[in-house]
Amino acid sequence: MYGTFEISDFQAEFGNFRIKVERDGKLYRYVREGKERVENVISSNSSKLIINPVEPVNLPKNITNFLQIELSKKIILEPGLQAEVYVKFPIEVGVFLASKKKIEIVDVFSLQKPKYSLYGSPSDGVVCRYWESEVFFKKPEIDPLKEGIIRLKVENKADEWVSLKSLVFDVYGMKIYYNSDSVISFGEVELKSERVGETTFLDRKSVKGMRKSVELFTARKVPIVRKSFVMEMGL
Amino acid sequence: MIDVLNYTLYGDVTLYDLVFVIVVMFFASILARFITANVRRTLIDRMKRDQLEILLKIIYFGILIIAFVSVSPSIGIKLSGLLVAGGIAGIVIGFASQSIVSNLISGLFLIWEKPIKIGDQINVDGVSGFVEDIHIMSTIVRTYDGLYVRIPNERVFTSSITNYVANPVRRFEYTIGIRYADDAEKAIEIIKKIIDEHPFALKYPEPAVFVDSLGESSVNIVVKIWAPSTEWYSVKMDLLWKIKKELEDNGIEIPFPQRVIWFANQPEFQRQQKD
Repeated sequence: MYGTFEISDFQAEFGNFRIKVERDGKLYRYVREGKERVENVISSNSSKLIINPVEPVNLPKNITNFLQIELSKKIILEPGLQAEVYVKFPIEVGVFLASKKKIEIVDVFSLQKPKYSLYGSPSDGVVCRYWESEVFFKKPEIDPLKEGIIRLKVENKADEWVSLKSLVFDVYGMKIYYNSDSVISFGEVELKSERVGETTFLDRKSVKGMRKSVELFTARKVPIVRKSFVMEMGL
Repeated sequence: MIDVLNYTLYGDVTLYDLVFVIVVMFFASILARFITANVRRTLIDRMKRDQLEILLKIIYFGILIIAFVSVSPSIGIKLSGLLVAGGIAGIVIGFASQSIVSNLISGLFLIWEKPIKIGDQINVDGVSGFVEDIHIMSTIVRTYDGLYVRIPNERVFTSSITNYVANPVRRFEYTIGIRYADDAEKAIEIIKKIIDEHPFALKYPEPAVFVDSLGESSVNIVVKIWAPSTEWYSVKMDLLWKIKKELEDNGIEIPFPQRVIWFANQPEFQRQQKD
């Protein structure tokens, strides 16, 4: 149910959520019904509604830009080797209004319960959106309204064996691609030592058969200073 | 009118020169306000507030200083002379106004050391609230009651500062008493489940829930939860009531203080009751 839609008389269902846009004179009323009711008034002539998955750090409110994925199994890598695996990430759905030049956020919701955690120590750590994931060797089946896939390249650049149990990404650089069946993002982890690794979300110009999501941080005009995150406090 | 403007005030400085300087400084001040307002509007959602405030002050006073340096020769002020005079005046003023200088130096150290930032929640010398601004002489705090408190920087610098949001997370705790007749293990399980469902009750560091003491009227369960520093108070308010309701829904009650009293003639009394 992701995509670009005409604003007038739009209706859609996302799991327990029902979204509609009603015309009322010259104005529109955006309504999301579910556990709670969200209502916004829109004044627009020619905008379209874009609904797509966004960086999963906005609910119940945006307090961080880090996503921590705790792996169900350790990935153990020999020095110099690299592996490609798949992990899942939680989906948050962004609703945008797009006019000819600008994009504006209308709403963000999710079918997943958010949970936060701390990576590192209470004095130097970072608060992260927390998520647990299996490690898959092949592209797993997903419900694209609830979960997305990260195709992850893991490379051990250290001179020793390294175990990886947890990933922390800076989602400012997250690029999400979607179609009706799937949501995917691409990332890499460079393991620099037994305790240090660097994670990065990769940007692809295009992915066959998929559209690129409008990013929430682009819509919010947040300047992106860096895309990678150095995990210095353990892997 | 022109004759009046040509009136010599002192040396070569005429009234015209003085008016010229005043007008230039007036327009420089308007220009500085205009530029800082625009810079603030442009950068307010792109920079941290404390850094933005410092940048705005640099821009504002930078424009005023440049304007003053440009026009000061018109009123006979020579910068080389100012430096010498400033040095002597500095010593005199320094002795005469120790507390002002002390506040100034403390302000510079506060800006350099950064124990607090604009927007932080702090406690300084018994004053708790949000840091609204850090001036060169004083720090402005908005208390939780919404009061404006100006604290001289010397007091801020020499007092012990508690910054509630300097670390990304902080811990809070409750003590929850349940009846001796209730199942403490079940109560712990229920409390852990409620904590797990709250998004901002952090997964790691893990919350701790355990029987801490056997009180006079209750079995006391201690609950220790970590939360993001910016959210801890709302999490604390939210969770306690949820825990109380969920425990009661599961038949676990928080008891009133109670005392068992044994009467000396109790066996006789019980026999009478049976009869």
